[in-house]
Amino acid sequence: MRTRHFFLCFTLGVTVHMSGCAAFGVRPWDRDLMARDEMRLDANPVDAAIDEHMYFSKEASSGGRSYAGGGCGCN
Amino acid sequence: MAASCALLGAGAHSQEPSGTQKDDSLLDRLLEGVSFDSALAYYREDGRIQAIEPVVNVSKTFADGEVATLNVTFDSLSGASPNGALPGNVPQTFASPSGKSLTTGRHLYTIAPGQLPADPNYQDDRIAVSGNWDLPLSRLTRLSLGSKISGEDDFVSVSVNASIAQDFNDKNTTLALGLNNEFDSLRPIGGAPVPDSDYAAFDKNGNKTKDGVGVLLSLTQVMTRRWLTEFSLSWDRFHGYLNDPYKITSVLDSAGNTTGYVYESRPDERTRKSAYFENRVAFGQMSAGLSLRYMEDDWQIHSDTAQAHLHWSFANRERYLEPTVRWYRQTAAAFYTPWITTEERSSIGNQASDSRLGAFHAFTYGVKYAHKLSDAAGLAGSEFSVRLEYYQQIQDHRLAAPEPLQGLDLYPGLKAILVQFGWRF
Repeated sequence: MRTRHFFLCFTLGVTVHMSGCAAFGVRPWDRDLMARDEMRLDANPVDAAIDEHMYFSKEASSGGRSYAGGGCGCN
Repeated sequence: MAASCALLGAGAHSQEPSGTQKDDSLLDRLLEGVSFDSALAYYREDGRIQAIEPVVNVSKTFADGEVATLNVTFDSLSGASPNGALPGNVPQTFASPSGKSLTTGRHLYTIAPGQLPADPNYQDDRIAVSGNWDLPLSRLTRLSLGSKISGEDDFVSVSVNASIAQDFNDKNTTLALGLNNEFDSLRPIGGAPVPDSDYAAFDKNGNKTKDGVGVLLSLTQVMTRRWLTEFSLSWDRFHGYLNDPYKITSVLDSAGNTTGYVYESRPDERTRKSAYFENRVAFGQMSAGLSLRYMEDDWQIHSDTAQAHLHWSFANRERYLEPTVRWYRQTAAAFYTPWITTEERSSIGNQASDSRLGAFHAFTYGVKYAHKLSDAAGLAGSEFSVRLEYYQQIQDHRLAAPEPLQGLDLYPGLKAILVQFGWRF
C-alpha cells in the first residue's frame, strides 16, 4: 500500500516535470515574479535549518529536499 | 550618470588621508557580494528539554560567479530527557548515564508514581561548522562542494558532499545530482551500552561509530511566470551503532508490574527513500508555498509530510507576514514496542520504546513577521524578523495498559514552542 503511494507520488512528479520541461517555462524578460526573494526555494535557509534540526530530533524522518543526515538526536 | 557619481565619489575620497582610503576600499572589496543571515532561537518542550541556538550564516558571491558560504551553529540543550521507561504506579529509581549503580552514588534520580521517567540532569552543547563552495563550470553547469563538522560532548559527525547542477530550456529547468558521505563517532557518557543488555548490569563498552551515504536527485522547473516547482528523490543508507545509548525499555511481568529495564536494540543498518515535491506560486503582493514529502525505510517506518505557507508583503514590500502550517504522520518501526514482557525478554530480537520510533502525528503552527529597514535608518537592506512556532505531537500507537498501569498516561505526546529572532543583510 505504502509502496504504491511512493510510486504514485514518483509517477505524478515525474509526469508533471517531464511534460513541463518542454511545454512550460518563461522568457527571461518574464522573470519579474521569479526574481522575488520569497520565490527562491531556499529563501530562508537559517529558518529551514532550525526547523529541520527540531524535526530531526523529534521524528523518524528527515531530509527530502536535502540530505537526510544521521546526526545524534539523543534527547 | 553612474560615471558622474563615480567621479564625484573619487573626488570626495581624495580629500581623506590616504591610509583611510586604502582601508575603506579594502573593506568595501571584502564586503562586496557578502550576505549575512543570523538567528537566535529558543526552543522549549512542555516539562522536558529546552534549547538555545544561535546561528550565523555568511556567504560571499565573487565576480566570477563563485559563491562561498560558511555556517556556524551552536546549541545548548538542558532539561529532562525521557529515558524510554514507562510511568509506574510506584517510585522508580534510575541512574544518569555516568552512574555505575542503581542503589548508591550521586547520579541517581527517582521518578514519582504516574510521572514520565526522564533524566532531569540532561545537558549537552553542540557546535556545528559547515562550508560550501559553489562554482560555475560553464554558463549552464554548476558544481557545489561542501563539508560539515558537528561536535557534542558525546558525538562527533563529519560529512562531505558534492553536487552538480545543469540548466536546460533557457534556464527554466535545472537537474541536480548530489552525493553525501557522513562519518559519526559516538562517545556516550559512561560508555555505549550493549544493545538489549540489562539496565542494572551497566554492561557498557566504550565508543561506537556509524557511517552513511546519501544520494539526492532533484529537478526544478519554472512552470509559468507565477509558478516554480521542484521534485526530489533521495536515498540514504546508514550503518553502525544506530541506537540511542540513553534509551531503555521497561520489562513487565505477566501481571503488568515493572520488573526491570533493558537497553534498546535497533538494527545496525537503515535505508531510507523519500520523494519531495515543492511549489511556489506568486500572486499580487503575496506568494504561497506548498511542499509534500513521502518517506519510507526498511525499519517499516512510513511518513507523510505536508507544509504550506503564505508570504504576504505590505508597506511597499518593506514588511511581510508569513503564516505556516505543517502536518506530519508516521507509522511505527517494526521493532517499536512501549514495553516488553519477561516472556519476550529472551526472544524479542530488536526492540525500542523510543516514542520517536512509534506511530504518531504532529502539527506545527507558525508565523513570521519581518521588517526591512529603509535607507534612512542607516542599515539599508537589513531585515529583522521574529518567528513563533508551536509544535504538538500526538501518539497513535496505543496498546491497552496492563492492570497495574491503568489510569497512567503512557503516551503523553509532546508540546513545544520555538521563538526565533533573526537579522540579515
